[in-house]
Amino acid sequence: MAKRICVFFISLMLLSGTRILAQDTLTIPLNMRAGFDISGPVMHLIGSDLVSYGAIASVDLNEQYSASLRLRYSSYSVSEYNYDFKSSGVSAVISGDYNFLKPKVSGGKYFTGLGFGYGISFYNEEASRIEYTNPWGTGSDSFSPSSHTGHFLEATPGVRTELFPGVTIGWNLVIRLLISSGAGRDLKPVWMPGFGDATSRMTTGAEYYVSVSIPYKKIRVVIKPRKELTEDEGEENPEMNPSGSSFPPGGRL
Amino acid sequence: MRSLKHITVALLELIILLSAGSCSDKACYEEMDPLMYTSLLESGTGESKKADSVRVIAVTPAGPVTLYKQNAVTFFTLPLDPANDLSEFYFIVNGVSDTAVLTYTRHPHLVSAECGYTFLSELTGLRTTHNIIDTLIIENKSVNLDGEKNLRLFY
Repeated sequence: MAKRICVFFISLMLLSGTRILAQDTLTIPLNMRAGFDISGPVMHLIGSDLVSYGAIASVDLNEQYSASLRLRYSSYSVSEYNYDFKSSGVSAVISGDYNFLKPKVSGGKYFTGLGFGYGISFYNEEASRIEYTNPWGTGSDSFSPSSHTGHFLEATPGVRTELFPGVTIGWNLVIRLLISSGAGRDLKPVWMPGFGDATSRMTTGAEYYVSVSIPYKKIRVVIKPRKELTEDEGEENPEMNPSGSSFPPGGRL
Repeated sequence: MRSLKHITVALLELIILLSAGSCSDKACYEEMDPLMYTSLLESGTGESKKADSVRVIAVTPAGPVTLYKQNAVTFFTLPLDPANDLSEFYFIVNGVSDTAVLTYTRHPHLVSAECGYTFLSELTGLRTTHNIIDTLIIENKSVNLDGEKNLRLFY
C-alpha cells in the first residue's frame, strides 16, 4: 500500500513538470540593544534648567519592525521674575519602530525609520512662588508638592547606525502629543517629565543614544521576489542573459 | 564608508538641534489678565443702555486708582484685586457715584511657561449702594480669561 502511494506521488511530480524556484535570500542578525541618551547631560552642561537621564532597550522583531522601551528621569527647576517652579519624575515610553531601509541596505545594522509610542509620566510639581501683578498691585501664592500621572503619544523619526561591531549610535527627533497632564486645567506643569511644557498640546525634542547591540538570532530574508521557471521556458530561451530578461545581450534599446 | 556617512549626518543634525534648543527663550504673548465683564442695562426693560460716561475707581490700600474711564459705553471690564478676596470700587456712571464691594475666591492658573501664572476668581457675593445703580447682579461667577459676561448693572 505504501509503495503504491509513493509511486503515485512520484508520478504526479513527474507529470506536473519540474519547477525551479529562483530567489535570493540574505541572512541578517536580529539584535537586542541597551543604551543611554547623551543629549540630556549635554544640554544640562550648556546651561539648561533641565536635568535628564534617559535609557533605552530595544529588540528587533524582524528585519523591519522593532519594539523599544525608553525610560527617563527628569528634574526641572526654573526661577522666573514672577514664579519659581520645580518638577521631577520618571517617564516610560513603549513604542514600535518601522525601518524604511530594505534588508539588503540595512543589513541589521542601519535604521532610518519612524516609531510610534505611548508614554506615561509619574511626576511631582511645586511652585514655591507665584506672583501676579495688575493695577491693584501684586498678589502672591504658591502650591506645595503634589504628585500626578501624565499621558502622551510620541512619534519618533530617527536614524541609527553601527559605530563598530556591538555598538550603535542614533538620534531621534521626538514629536509628542499630550493626552493629559493629570494636574487639572489650572496647574498644568511648566515642565512635565518625559513630555516637556504641558501648556502646549505638542512638544518636540531630540534624543541621541549610544547603545550596546547584541545579536540574538539570525533570520533569512528574501530580497528578490520569487520567480518560477519551468524546464520548458529554460530550453526555449537559450540566450537568456544573466539579468533574467529574454533579450539577447546588447540588443535592448 | 556608509557608516561614516550616517555618523556625520547624525552629528551635524545633533549640533543643529542643540543650537536651536539653546535659543529657546520666548516672550509672553498670551492674555494674562482675567477681567470682570459688566453689562450696562436699562432698569425695567433689561435692554442694553449706553452710558454717557463711566469711570471706575479701585479703592486700594495705597489710595484710589482709576481702572476705567470711557464715554459712550454699554459695558466695561475690570480687574480684581489679586492680593485680597475682596475688591471695593467706585462706579461713577453719568457723573453719579456708587460704591460696590465684590467678594470672591482666587486660585492660580498657569498661562504658559513664558508668561507664568495669573489668578482666576470665583465671585461669591456683592454689595452696592443705590444712587444711580438700581440693581447689580452676578450673571456668571467665573472671572477668567475667556471674556464671559459676569455682572449686569441696571440703572
